[in-house]
Amino acid sequence: MVDLDASALTTTELNRKLRELAAQGTEHIHILNPQARHNIAVGLLDTCSITIEGSVGYYAASLMDGPQVTINGNAGWALGENLMKGKVVLTRNAGASLASSMRGGEVFVAGNAGARAGIGMKGGSLVIGGDAGFMTGFMMQRGTIIIGGDVGEGVGDSMYEGTIYVGGEIGSLGSDAKIEEASESELIQVWETMERHGIHDRKKFTKIVSAKKLYHFDSLERLEKRAV
Amino acid sequence: MDDYEGGLVVCFMCGISAIVHKMASSEGLAPVGRELVAMLDSLAHRGIDSSGVTICGEEFPADYIIRLWCEGEQDAEAQMGRVQDIVSEYGGSVVASSVTGGYLRTEIRYGGDVGRLAEAILKLQGMHLHSIGRNSEIIKDVGTAADMDGKHSIDGIMGTHGIGHVRMATESRVDINHSHPFWAYPFPDVSVVHNGQLTNYHKLTRKYEDEGYTFQTENDSELIAVYLADKMYKGMKLDDALHSAVDDLDGTFTFIASTEDGVGYAKDRWSAKPMVATETDDVVAIASEEIALRRIFPDEIDRAEPQEGDVKTWLI
Repeated sequence: MVDLDASALTTTELNRKLRELAAQGTEHIHILNPQARHNIAVGLLDTCSITIEGSVGYYAASLMDGPQVTINGNAGWALGENLMKGKVVLTRNAGASLASSMRGGEVFVAGNAGARAGIGMKGGSLVIGGDAGFMTGFMMQRGTIIIGGDVGEGVGDSMYEGTIYVGGEIGSLGSDAKIEEASESELIQVWETMERHGIHDRKKFTKIVSAKKLYHFDSLERLEKRAV
Repeated sequence: MDDYEGGLVVCFMCGISAIVHKMASSEGLAPVGRELVAMLDSLAHRGIDSSGVTICGEEFPADYIIRLWCEGEQDAEAQMGRVQDIVSEYGGSVVASSVTGGYLRTEIRYGGDVGRLAEAILKLQGMHLHSIGRNSEIIKDVGTAADMDGKHSIDGIMGTHGIGHVRMATESRVDINHSHPFWAYPFPDVSVVHNGQLTNYHKLTRKYEDEGYTFQTENDSELIAVYLADKMYKGMKLDDALHSAVDDLDGTFTFIASTEDGVGYAKDRWSAKPMVATETDDVVAIASEEIALRRIFPDEIDRAEPQEGDVKTWLI
């Protein structure tokens, strides 16, 4: 394990150091004193495990393809943005635009999330233990969002594909979002996911999907179309 | 109109902050100036065009503190003499005065109508009125918070509460007068810092001009200050005025208002602009980002992120 004191490094130096250590095969990296700074652990493409002791700012653990990052604190806006593969765990609360445009992997927030969690999500799994804010899942295109607590107004607004599960109250559905009965196997999968994160309250989750009344696109991307 | 939303996800335009020392009026004033400068310094990535603070709760042997800026720095001393003459002409007296570059500050004894006095001062050519307050003053300048502190020695100013702003201008001009905070001319001690854009600015401005208000700038944030002051002048409490603002103002905004005895914030219905707040038994700190709160609380904190349409006030 390698310890890095973030207070002694610029953000560029810190991220460069992380990339070097991950490329060298360092299994675990421990970051101290992040002091809610932005852009910590960004652009990491090698598999490794990183623990950040304290709160981070915007875009933490974003543009990643592989690492597992645990943050013992809060996060600002856009935690786990554009995650391709790997895992991000946050022990406290996240700001707005959590896991925006993520394409794979898993983001878990033990506390609450701000507005627009999972905006433009294109894959992977976003799990929020607490409440989620305004327009959660806005324009999501794929993937799964699970919210253990309540969700705000406009959930699933303009979603194309993907599924949102809400354990608590729903402020309101967004445009073109609808409630659909969750199957037993889907509920079991949701419960098992929550239990993996230490949440054992087996709630009756509400499933939200696109009503597809505004759906004027096919679901394949350019390269996928070529393959078909 | 202060900032531009760079995309769906995150903006880095303009930073706001506030600090409230809940016990300061009974247990002694706090280093509000130093705290605001530290918070704004940490938000420099959100804007370096200009910086400003309102600091409240100072105790002066006067009725009002007036803060002015004179376009021609070389005329500042002469203009101060003219301001003093106007104060005397309107039945007041000057307790203390100072001139720093083009900035004029004077403490006065005055029992008359503040609006009439302000109007008379503004007739002086090249003079701009930044604030008239019973216990507060607005200090603002172009450049970073550190630049402002170096020039105006904000670090040493004590108070009970205050608000601050760093600006990244994209639409209205960069100059001292378009810096935040904006005073709610002519209501003493009401000022606002704002991150966002109001889309019904022209409509509301015309409405208030029809009612007799005079705006000092073309900045939409000034409208928020006047809006709130007008509501409070007509009997609303700050909290109710903020709720009303969420209903009546269109656009994206997060703003913090400061009054003689408190601070309050409001956030638009789209939750489009960032803000976090933390509170202890003694202190409330609010800022665009947690990185600024950590200048006040170096250790890990519990902080709340206000959501769409949220309003909260603290009165001391």
